[in-house]
Amino acid sequence: MRSMVMLLPLLVALAVVPATGQVPGHFYNVDTEIGIEATVREIVLEPRYKGTAPFLVLRVEESGTAKAFDVEIAPSWFFGQDVHGGEKVKIVGSLTEAPGTKPTIIARELKLRGETFKLRDKRGFPSWQGGPQRKRGIRRFGRT
Amino acid sequence: MIIKKMRRIVPILVMASTFLPGWGATFYLSFNQHSTQNLFQTRDAVSDQISAFSLAIDQDFSALSLIAKAEYSAFREASGLSFFAADLGLDYLVPAGRKSALYFAAGVAGQFYRQTYEPFSSLGANLLGAFKTYLAPSSIMKVQWQGAYAVYKDPLFDYLSQTASLSVDKYFPSRTTLKADAEWGYKYFLHPFLPEPVEAAPATMLMSGGGTGGQGQPGTGGGGTGSGWGGQGYQGGSGFMPRYSSAGGGAGIGHVSASLLAAQGIGDAVGLSASAVRQWVVAGENPFLSIEEFYFVQNPSADSFSWEGHQLNGRITLAFPWDVSLKTGYTYSDKTYPGVESLGADGLPLGLLRNDRRNLLEARLQKDFRRFSVFLAYSHVDNTSTDPLFVWKSHFIMGGFEWNLPTGRKGGV
Repeated sequence: MRSMVMLLPLLVALAVVPATGQVPGHFYNVDTEIGIEATVREIVLEPRYKGTAPFLVLRVEESGTAKAFDVEIAPSWFFGQDVHGGEKVKIVGSLTEAPGTKPTIIARELKLRGETFKLRDKRGFPSWQGGPQRKRGIRRFGRT
Repeated sequence: MIIKKMRRIVPILVMASTFLPGWGATFYLSFNQHSTQNLFQTRDAVSDQISAFSLAIDQDFSALSLIAKAEYSAFREASGLSFFAADLGLDYLVPAGRKSALYFAAGVAGQFYRQTYEPFSSLGANLLGAFKTYLAPSSIMKVQWQGAYAVYKDPLFDYLSQTASLSVDKYFPSRTTLKADAEWGYKYFLHPFLPEPVEAAPATMLMSGGGTGGQGQPGTGGGGTGSGWGGQGYQGGSGFMPRYSSAGGGAGIGHVSASLLAAQGIGDAVGLSASAVRQWVVAGENPFLSIEEFYFVQNPSADSFSWEGHQLNGRITLAFPWDVSLKTGYTYSDKTYPGVESLGADGLPLGLLRNDRRNLLEARLQKDFRRFSVFLAYSHVDNTSTDPLFVWKSHFIMGGFEWNLPTGRKGGV
């Protein structure tokens, strides 16, 4: 009985979450999710959403096709990680293509230098963390 | 006990994440279990197990972000070291053109210990300012300044500190990244000396023992004989030893350091890096006669300001299928602590500054799931020192999970 009481909020959450929080227009659409391998050509900081910090945006060129994409990463990544022009990346994310604009990928996962960075969960919810101040953790060996 | 608490807290967080979608905050929850064979990191090994639980909330308000974090760590054997810690911080990102940005952060933090370790309890504030710019698409420059102020239950440790650093890196088409870093730092202890006892001795007296938090006795402090922060029955540490001074006042220690890092990507799944740091103390020395370094506990006498010497590090990162990653590393360090005397087994000074050489092996295996990660980490330390008390070897094992529960809007942010 106690286990059921514990599980109830989880079940309610699973039932309700998919219906909440959608914003029209530019959003993470799991139905348009793609994966590409690309080379970073330019890194810029651009305002993307009203009421949020500017986003780190990678201008990339897809390997093989040379097709250009803008890739939205996260608001605080500009300080948290160092991405360079010329670096090879693998991106999984939601593609949005409006007429007359460059195709944009809202990144969910970025593979860079042998590391995989999870930027959003599989439904598109952000999971990035903040800037340098938030990197506090337990004291590790070799850091002092 | 922590598990029981988590069973109550987790459903509440899930409910919050469900019904507050417009709030846009993210909860971070973690639970780590540590096992150490040498809690106090001395020759006299003391085993312990630590359960650490933390909860953080991250909320963005446009370019301003707020983070609040609370942690509780329970030590099974040395229960006096169990502590509660809380952080509250704000940060702010300001674009300066399309290729540059300024970052500011301010925070307050507190750590609260029980019983005999209460002298470590502290309240502090910190400020950070940073500027990052792309000199070219493949080259980044960063400048950073950080200031901190902390007051402790035992005012011997009260300090002001600041560091400033400059780094430049360059990425090459061979998938090699080179990075150079220079840092200046200064830590000023506001009143680190004990007033001279009536019948005491010289201004800089060795083996004064005890301090305000311990039970040490003059002449026995260096031998690990049961004195120090832990009080009677304390089996680790050296017995913390402040200096006496009739003049009182503060004392500072300043350093400059230079570091180089080379990183290489191989295929999609392998990352290699090697780094070297050289640090010089250029002003002052450690005001205390001993340095203590406990596993998982922030010791105000031992930090990045307290040593000079060098450190070499090699690291391999492997990405496996199914979101499994393995990070392994080896670090060699050779650190001398200016102002800290090596003591013989009899507690008498050996006439040498304390110098520690350490070999550290680390490995961390992690599996990421949709909302949480689980990991297992292992460390092995082999420490040699000019002070026989600090010649030790030990294993450390840690496992745990980290969970995030976003309440943000789906899509953009």
